[in-house]
Amino acid sequence: MTRFDYDDSDVVVIVGSGAGGGTLAHELCRRGFKTVVLEAGPHLTGEDYHNDEWAAFGQMAWTDPRTTSGSWAIADDFPNLPAWIVKAVGGTTTHWAGACPRFKSHEFAARTTYGDIEGADLLDWPITLSELEPYYDQAEIKMGVTHRHGRPPLPANNNYKVFANGADKLGYRDYSTGPYATNAEPYDGRPASIQDGFNFQGDKHGSKWSTLVAELPKAEATGNLDLRPDSQAVQILHGPDGRATGVLYVDRNGTLRRQRAAVVSVAGNSIETARLLLLSASTRFPDGMANSSGQVGRNYMRHTTGTVWGQFDKPVRMYRGETMAGVIADESRLDTGRGFVGGYYMQTIALGPAFFAKFVAPGSWGPKLAEIVDGYLNTAGMWIVGEDMPQGTNRITLSDTVDEHGIPVANVHFDDHPNDVAMRRHGQQQGAAVYKAVGAHRTIETPPYPSTHNLGTCRMSQRPGDGVVDRFGRAHDVPNLFVTDGSVFTTGAAANPTLTIVALATRQADFIASDFRTGRN
Amino acid sequence: MPTLLSDDQRRLLVDLLRAAFPHDTFPMGPYERAAQAVVDAAAANPRLQAQLLQGLDDLDRQREVPFSRLDPDIAAVVLRGIADTPFFTGIVDVAVVALYDDHEVWDVLGYEGASYDKGGYIDRGFNDLDWLPDPRIESYGDDSRQEASA
Repeated sequence: MTRFDYDDSDVVVIVGSGAGGGTLAHELCRRGFKTVVLEAGPHLTGEDYHNDEWAAFGQMAWTDPRTTSGSWAIADDFPNLPAWIVKAVGGTTTHWAGACPRFKSHEFAARTTYGDIEGADLLDWPITLSELEPYYDQAEIKMGVTHRHGRPPLPANNNYKVFANGADKLGYRDYSTGPYATNAEPYDGRPASIQDGFNFQGDKHGSKWSTLVAELPKAEATGNLDLRPDSQAVQILHGPDGRATGVLYVDRNGTLRRQRAAVVSVAGNSIETARLLLLSASTRFPDGMANSSGQVGRNYMRHTTGTVWGQFDKPVRMYRGETMAGVIADESRLDTGRGFVGGYYMQTIALGPAFFAKFVAPGSWGPKLAEIVDGYLNTAGMWIVGEDMPQGTNRITLSDTVDEHGIPVANVHFDDHPNDVAMRRHGQQQGAAVYKAVGAHRTIETPPYPSTHNLGTCRMSQRPGDGVVDRFGRAHDVPNLFVTDGSVFTTGAAANPTLTIVALATRQADFIASDFRTGRN
Repeated sequence: MPTLLSDDQRRLLVDLLRAAFPHDTFPMGPYERAAQAVVDAAAANPRLQAQLLQGLDDLDRQREVPFSRLDPDIAAVVLRGIADTPFFTGIVDVAVVALYDDHEVWDVLGYEGASYDKGGYIDRGFNDLDWLPDPRIESYGDDSRQEASA
């Protein structure tokens, strides 16, 4: 176990060990950078995980207080749980489903493609698909994504059989069991999936890519990684020249520590990343670090989501096998003739009875809920995930509520944009049609879960006044401060974000290792 | 903090849960354990316990006869009348989790629970659905499509 000195000012400090932070750590460690990773949560491993929804939730989820506001259903249904993300080493990659679509070319130019949408703060990304393509390739190879670079597809499970047959009957053509970053056969030292059915609870088998089982062990093997679990960052420090000089964090004993740094990366997932920058206000940065634009925390996105369940006369047993292992991509196309801009994917999903009953119609009870739950065995499920509109008023701010250390927690404000509402309605109608096409006697529409895709809040922009970071994720205001997670997304696209976060982190590591280190920037 | 609920009140709570989550196929055990979960939650939450103590007494006075002796349709009407009260939502919040996380309920619903120790479902029916044809798994237009759908 490598350990660097608190006063070693040559190290790179990365706050967060998920898709962005864990990937950046590996990419920098293998290039010889001394790297300290501060992870707020504990170091759980496969043996620790529970094949049990509630126990796993209690073990892994970020359940520290947060507050909510706005007209979104979450503010009523789950007012202190705006997001369903992980607080543990590996971050949210330890419970993600593994879906790995790439962004489409036009999704990097949402403002140009969609035009001026009233109420939306669209902006083109300062990078293009062709610039990111080599890094998408690297990310897919790194993660062992099925259907890509010779990796075989996952087999059809029961939930997929219903989903794909319905898609075919409805005339959809672009359906398949991937791409997913879960091994269908052994790859990169990790075994093939045994289809145990527990993904959101931590993958005990290690078949699914996560920074816990892939990037961080590789980083550790270089001898350049100092991984510190149970370490909650509370402030980024800066010197008189405005450069970041280190990070203050509370360690597992409740002691405040200062780790000096040459470079700081914030990768705490959109809500915590924005919170940390806002908490790092100073005389020089009165509105928060890297926030001269006033954009830190703004344009919080969560994808337009919803779930559709189909109930049949015969058994499905959706819980057997990979939780998500099927995609319909036909609706991800560019087609504004559907009454909304942006596209969406349909992806298989399964929940156990406890989560199913809790989430199918939040707060509900009575004979109707009982009937729906009675049909559990014969239920198939799909999740809708599509591009939502950035809005400057959808925003992370510091709350009046404080955490166990007395530090203000994040408030998450969100209002659906009319485009989000139209897309969700379309997606749920199409999802229901998929199941009806293969004989569903009942379909059920479930509103969004606490957000699993948390994006924006530190968006990437060409002009410093439009966003927080530049095309490499470097803060416009602070030359040695980087953001390395989905916070940097200028717009959300339809694709599940992890693959793009990994590609961007890999690209950022190239930048830090070459241009940045040699002082050309 | 010990519970102040009487045995009669605890029995009434069980009946309330049976009316709120009416499954003909569920035995009594899961309802009794869900009621216990509510009592346990209330033991750590004075506000919830206060709601329970007053709310259960009030529930019995909603009609001429005690709640437990009401016709199921009438009991459902009574519950709809109190659906938005902190008393009722406090119970539902805890009970919906406890009831449907009960392993006896899982057996009834056909859910098999933890699977890792049994080797997952790779050899235990993850793909045993036989009332629809096997769909292709490759993307449309992939070279391997013919093989996959053959």
